[in-house]
Amino acid sequence: MSPRERFEAFLTGKTIDRFLCVPLILNHAARVMGVKIGDYNRNGRLMGDCHAAAWKRYRHDLIAIFSDTAILAEAMGTRLKFRADDVPTIDIPAVTDPSDRSRLTRPSMGSARLPVHLEAIRTAVAEVGDQVPVSCCFSAPFTTAACLRGPDQFARDLIKRRELAHELLRLALEVGKQFTDAVADSGGIPVIVDPVATGSVLGENQFREFALPYLKEQMAHIVRRGFPAVLHICGKTSRILQPMLETGSAVLSLDDISMDEARERVSDKAVLMGNVRPVATLLQGTPSDVENEVRDLCAIGRRCKAGFILGSGCEVPIASPPANVEAMMNAVRTYGSMN
Amino acid sequence: MNDAVSRKAILDELADAVVKMDEERAVKAAHAAIKQGVDPYLAITEGLSAGMREVSRLYDAGTYFIPEILVCSDAMYAAVAVLKPHIKTRPKNKPTKIILGVVEGDVHDIGKNIVKIMLDAAGFDVEDLGRDVASARFIEAARRAGQGIIGLSTLMSTTMPSMGKTITALKEAGLRQSFRVIVGGGPTNAAFAREIGADGHGTNAKEAVDLAESLARRIS
Repeated sequence: MSPRERFEAFLTGKTIDRFLCVPLILNHAARVMGVKIGDYNRNGRLMGDCHAAAWKRYRHDLIAIFSDTAILAEAMGTRLKFRADDVPTIDIPAVTDPSDRSRLTRPSMGSARLPVHLEAIRTAVAEVGDQVPVSCCFSAPFTTAACLRGPDQFARDLIKRRELAHELLRLALEVGKQFTDAVADSGGIPVIVDPVATGSVLGENQFREFALPYLKEQMAHIVRRGFPAVLHICGKTSRILQPMLETGSAVLSLDDISMDEARERVSDKAVLMGNVRPVATLLQGTPSDVENEVRDLCAIGRRCKAGFILGSGCEVPIASPPANVEAMMNAVRTYGSMN
Repeated sequence: MNDAVSRKAILDELADAVVKMDEERAVKAAHAAIKQGVDPYLAITEGLSAGMREVSRLYDAGTYFIPEILVCSDAMYAAVAVLKPHIKTRPKNKPTKIILGVVEGDVHDIGKNIVKIMLDAAGFDVEDLGRDVASARFIEAARRAGQGIIGLSTLMSTTMPSMGKTITALKEAGLRQSFRVIVGGGPTNAAFAREIGADGHGTNAKEAVDLAESLARRIS
């Protein structure tokens, strides 16, 4: 089966030859082509080419176009610091002073690097889209709002300036929905990531008040556009697993949690995806470490009632040895039979 | 009200203001401490820091989370700013110096900020170099300090090699023997810490404080 056939069969509940395998190959795609990250993330054609090349090498089941979690905030006015060969980081948040919020506007889809990502989607679709589906990962409202304000300050806002927090979240949601449409219109599958709304930072009640309502609307919009709702939250997620389920996501991509615990708690209601350890295994481990972890995860996956997708817990680290990513693909071919 | 009772009331008020995230009350209590002649050093260690220890306990218990810790620490720092100019005598044991920073190429710093807050509250003399800190700046700060602990943090796996670089630079500068090096941050782990020749690894702020305290006892 080609990844596209496998993916479509999975979505329609047909039998497939093995688990889908989606290592989150994001910036690592640039390494496959020997391109510097700072060139990759500002040139849509190049970004798309890198993902097509990475796919030809690894043959994973879903391409994931992504640079960083701040692209929507950047389009709304947050200034980033770009680096020659690393991901950009927040330099000056758009809303440094609460009064700056009056200056925030709804950006056009031609703002900042949104067009770079849309062009990357179109490029990858044109090159290999007949064989593999192409997705684009972008931030949920909580993470975008944190990038508009600076994560520390936004964390304080949850307690001291709740009105401002909700105002930024509403605006981030509107822009997220708009970008969802742009991704879909470019031929991409929207995938939502919310790394700041992690259980490593928030308690369940904070997640329920500030992340959940906006995620629900974001996911509903994706479903209205005819896509499965996929939510990735990295870090520790045990504490927020139940509300993650309540977002209406069909697929929960998990990082630092025991997959067996997640299986027990929610696998009857959502497809679980994950969670080969990105640093300990994919970056620092050997191919046989990868193989062992995949074998164990597949055994858990076979007991996930609503389904399982083998993934990496978080982004495949940029400098991961390609042999480890290959080992992950080979291992799913060996151990990934679904019964 | 006798002195001991009023002193106890002020220390409790300082601690409670921190726990309740009330910056205004903390500052007011700090002024009251000065006015009533409470030793400002004691006001910090047994008032504000006691409050932060309770905050840390509430965090471990899953009652408080990162947002609460940040707001509690704002109250603590605002009151420290009032008290610090009034400290006349240095404590008998000079506190151990800790140089903290997020390594080159990484500007995520929530985790490091939480560690700094907890080390401050535990009485260490913390110098925070901020984020995106090149090896050379750690070395400069280490030369100034002479001895102590260096804490390196990162949230991004791409910048992990910078941690090893900083330790190598410390060796080349002949300063490695005078410092204990601890590392932390999302993608790091104990095996990585050993691999780059660090002296310890903490997975959270509490572990970082425990580790720093145990290493501080080994610094002559």
